[in-house]
Amino acid sequence: MSDLFVIGAGLSGLMAAYTAARAGLRVQVVTKGLGSMHWAAGTVDVMGYTPEELSRPVQRPLEAIQALAHSHPEHPYVLLGSHQVQVALEEFTALMAELGLPYGGAGGFGALAHSTSGDNLLLPSAVGALRPAFLAPSAQLAGDMARPEPLLIVGFTGLRDFYPELIAENLAKQGFQARAAFLPLSLLTEQADRNNVHLAQALDLQARRLKLGGELKRLARAGERIGLPALLGLDDHAAALADLSAAAGAPIFEIPTLPPSVPGMRLYKALRARLWRMGVRIDVGLEGIGANVIAANGTAGRVQWVETATTTSRPLKHRAKAYLLATGGILGGGFDSDHTGRIWETVFDLPLTIPQARHQWFRPAFMDPAGHPVFNGGVAVNAAMQPVGADGQVLYANLWAAGGALAGADPIQQHSLEGLAIATGWAAGQAIVRALAQ
Amino acid sequence: MPMHTQSWESVGPSLDECIKCNICTSYCPVAEVTDKFHGPKYSGPQAQRFRENGQPQSPDHSVDYCSGCRVCNEVCPTGVRIAEINARARAQAAAEHGIPLRNRLLGRSDMLGKLGMIAPGLANWGMRQGFARSIAEGVLGISKHAQMPTWSREGTFASWLKRSAPNRLRSERKVVYYHGCSTMYYEPYVGKAAMAVFEHNGFEVVVPEQGCCGLPLLNNAEFPAAEKYHHHNLEWLTPYARQGYQIVGTSTSCTLTLKEEAPDMLDIHTPEARDLALAVWDIFEWLRELHAQGQMKTDFQPIDMVLPYHPPCQYRAHHIGSPVMDILPLIPGLDVRESHARCCGGAGTYVYKKEKYQIAMDVGQELFTWVDEQRPVTMTACTSETCRWHIESATKLPCRHPIEVLAAAYGLYDLEKRKLTKE
Ligand code: SF4
Ligand code: SF4
Repeated sequence: MSDLFVIGAGLSGLMAAYTAARAGLRVQVVTKGLGSMHWAAGTVDVMGYTPEELSRPVQRPLEAIQALAHSHPEHPYVLLGSHQVQVALEEFTALMAELGLPYGGAGGFGALAHSTSGDNLLLPSAVGALRPAFLAPSAQLAGDMARPEPLLIVGFTGLRDFYPELIAENLAKQGFQARAAFLPLSLLTEQADRNNVHLAQALDLQARRLKLGGELKRLARAGERIGLPALLGLDDHAAALADLSAAAGAPIFEIPTLPPSVPGMRLYKALRARLWRMGVRIDVGLEGIGANVIAANGTAGRVQWVETATTTSRPLKHRAKAYLLATGGILGGGFDSDHTGRIWETVFDLPLTIPQARHQWFRPAFMDPAGHPVFNGGVAVNAAMQPVGADGQVLYANLWAAGGALAGADPIQQHSLEGLAIATGWAAGQAIVRALAQ
Repeated sequence: MPMHTQSWESVGPSLDECIKCNICTSYCPVAEVTDKFHGPKYSGPQAQRFRENGQPQSPDHSVDYCSGCRVCNEVCPTGVRIAEINARARAQAAAEHGIPLRNRLLGRSDMLGKLGMIAPGLANWGMRQGFARSIAEGVLGISKHAQMPTWSREGTFASWLKRSAPNRLRSERKVVYYHGCSTMYYEPYVGKAAMAVFEHNGFEVVVPEQGCCGLPLLNNAEFPAAEKYHHHNLEWLTPYARQGYQIVGTSTSCTLTLKEEAPDMLDIHTPEARDLALAVWDIFEWLRELHAQGQMKTDFQPIDMVLPYHPPCQYRAHHIGSPVMDILPLIPGLDVRESHARCCGGAGTYVYKKEKYQIAMDVGQELFTWVDEQRPVTMTACTSETCRWHIESATKLPCRHPIEVLAAAYGLYDLEKRKLTKE
């Protein structure tokens, strides 16, 4: 039996697992499969757009969070308060520095207080659009469009889904000085049919990246910075980045590609390795399908056990002192629905703030600033991240929730997926540690 | 070739869940080390579209290189049953091109077992001879480098059972033991250790007539033959399931085959097959349940050693987590360390095939390097027999079934000599 049983291995689940394990709790994590981080850019988006202003990116996200207090009191950021969000982000940056995958912000690296001026970064995407992000892995920082250097975007002939000319052209249209160049894919691999992750692994070999660095030096003009698809090493990424920049004699940055995302996979693998070292069990391939609860009249009930699906129709029971739901929302797979529009949370069948009729899921306008109820809704929680009913009462004394499943935010529209995951995962972890200490 | 020899029934619908994220290909250990295999997304859900349209030729022959490790299934966010799609695709290709003699041989573990037992000393000697193995490689395509299992020199498990019948425990609490071919012919001591653990916990063990689970045949695409085996097992074992017996196995692949592989791939979804599947347990899954009910004995003697343990790939398909890690750490003094390597590379009979031997070694490197880093190590452990043989040959360290370790902790078994203490 573990102290904490976490369902979901996205950023929120792993952040909570880390927080609890560091405090000495025995933690087990189960997940149906891998996801979220593997298809995100590897950045920490805290607040890229506010619900009120969807056309212009937020400049100072922590301030934008404070402003939410009046307009969106049910937003998880507001429940926590911007100070707590900041503390959680500090924990995250400290952790990532320790793991050799440092994150930084508009002010550079290191502890949050130093690494950020409070401004969002603006980073070029794989189509040359600008993406607001609060923190980014060191490999993406030189891509910040607040920096003055002109850009050289380098692609590889035959590499799918990364077109340097398209990126450079779109950046130029937005007034930046940018040009494109190609190198042969054979610099990375002789093998056919490699995906981004395999190519990144090829650059884990020093000889290859030195060769690539030499070619980049030949291409770059004085004063330019070089943007490459995000495949600069997987397990030996820090050294790959250092070697390449030194050999090229220019600042180098990564541009995230289509999934699978190498920066996201690095993040997942780094967190996973840390959790393993702390003795946390991570069982991938176990899907939460139900729970046994004792409901109580008027007072909070208790979760007795959680069930995961097995090959036979004999579900596996998991008992723990505390449970954390971190399965994501409708996009993460934590909710399911049928053709009538009934929509439910799949493990505890918690009440959702999403209308139970399909025609009410979406507003008529696709880009409606108010967002769509199906994405905005979810599991309502209190300030301690415990699911509550419509009356605000805690539903189960030993259940917490974090991440994309929470009600009151639309993390896709607001570009706040990772910020929400880190803040609510950390806060839930803290609350669980406190609760079990009593 | 008739198509009704295998069933797509259980895997078909999962195809539509694919969101083309490529996470599977990013974690597939085979695609990582060779470009002879195009990877799970391509060979699985993508190529499947063409297979479904009844194209005359398989659209992707590289699927033959899929080892069936199921890493892809495990990481897929949407639950596509990629490994199962690939297994069926391999079978379809075999149906189109004919099954080579080699695969027919490797598929018949019970027959090979019986043959070798006629003169195990001679058979083992032959397996070690360079010239014999070179001929086997040249004629049959069986890699001369791969370590073949050695036939038991102490007789079969059945012969020991008969000899030791008077010593068996009688009890109200009973369990059925499914030993499988490897315990029968190659590693009877695994069966003895299991019997000792059952009896120590107060269970009378029933070992009814049983046949090969048919997995090697399924793996090598011989469906009619596999079907015959499965029907025999249904006939022999289902009556026990219906009387409420739990049917517990020491081989993670045999138990998986009885639970899922055989019924799914052969589309045998009769009430008999369902009842049998529900009664089948992996031995550590079963022990974990016993322990959860507070009924497993923990009168252990300390075992002071570091034990690197590799969970075999089949556990992925059982979806029961890592039950060995719920039990072995209870033994005082034992420092069990779980491997996070994706696959040992052996993958059943995969490593025996000449064209795949090097791939198997490259895939296993992740595990072998990790074992090398654990010190001081005198032996390793793994729950699946073919993995044990492959890990032993690559690490040059003995590899034990965890049930042998547990029996030793009860003071019933000598881990080094692989013998019961009272024998
Ligand atoms: S991981 Fe699953 S969803 Fe993603 S490409 Fe592979 S099969 Fe498709
Ligand atoms: S079963 Fe293993 S070898 Fe086959 S495609 Fe999946 S991950 Fe790759």
